[in-house]
Amino acid sequence: MNTITNEAKKIELHIPSILGYEKVAMACVASVAKNMGFNNARIEDLKSAVAEACINAIVHGNKMDSGSKVGIVVMIGSLSLEVYVTDDGQGFGEIIMPEIEEQVEGKNRDRGWGIFLIRNLVDEIKVEKKPNDGNVVKMVFRLPKKTFFMNEV
Amino acid sequence: MNKDIDITISQQGDVSIITIKGDVTASTGEAIENAYQDVSSSGTKKILLNFGPECYINSGGIAALIGVVSESRKKEQIIRATGLSEHFQKIFNMVGLTKYIQIFPSEESALAGF
Repeated sequence: MNTITNEAKKIELHIPSILGYEKVAMACVASVAKNMGFNNARIEDLKSAVAEACINAIVHGNKMDSGSKVGIVVMIGSLSLEVYVTDDGQGFGEIIMPEIEEQVEGKNRDRGWGIFLIRNLVDEIKVEKKPNDGNVVKMVFRLPKKTFFMNEV
Repeated sequence: MNKDIDITISQQGDVSIITIKGDVTASTGEAIENAYQDVSSSGTKKILLNFGPECYINSGGIAALIGVVSESRKKEQIIRATGLSEHFQKIFNMVGLTKYIQIFPSEESALAGF
């Protein structure tokens, strides 16, 4: 087996701001994560988190403008997988976590579950505003300690 | 009809079964809501949501299911679910849907004692 250095590898893709295209990003990160040695349960977490970040970018960031693209950057490290999801929007505003009890009673239904799910599925999340317009959601998924990614001869 | 979802309704005794194959998302939420309204119009008090093994559920779908739960409480209905992958069972638990929808490992177990 070829030795691959531990230097981070980068994959970049862009999807149109149309719901459903988040599945392209899910398939990409799932494939990368599988090669890195993540187990199936963690890959499912990763797929859902990336899907939610893309949906947020499509709906709240780019306001479903099909001409705008959502960027997904996947950084492959020796110890972790980092995924950056970017949009060109004005920002999400204050993010208030939803409460199911309230929503079942018909209150605050506008509070979406996307960021809530991401926070609960990833090892690290950071939501930042880009210097100009747009947002970046950074998600980190750490490999279990005994996993070695494509690093053994 | 939404091409991303295939919903069928059946009846087993006094339990209405809504079988969902495909995507449970904001785009298909209306189809799920319509299926729920269909079974509710017959006066059913027991509903089983039977998810297909390839179901993809996202935050938009969760919002739709919360809407169904909300309606079901007004109508004093009981909802059970089956067919969910381990991952989506975890998501249901994370969100709190399991406070309102009991999850079973199989259709048979879900129907037993319902």
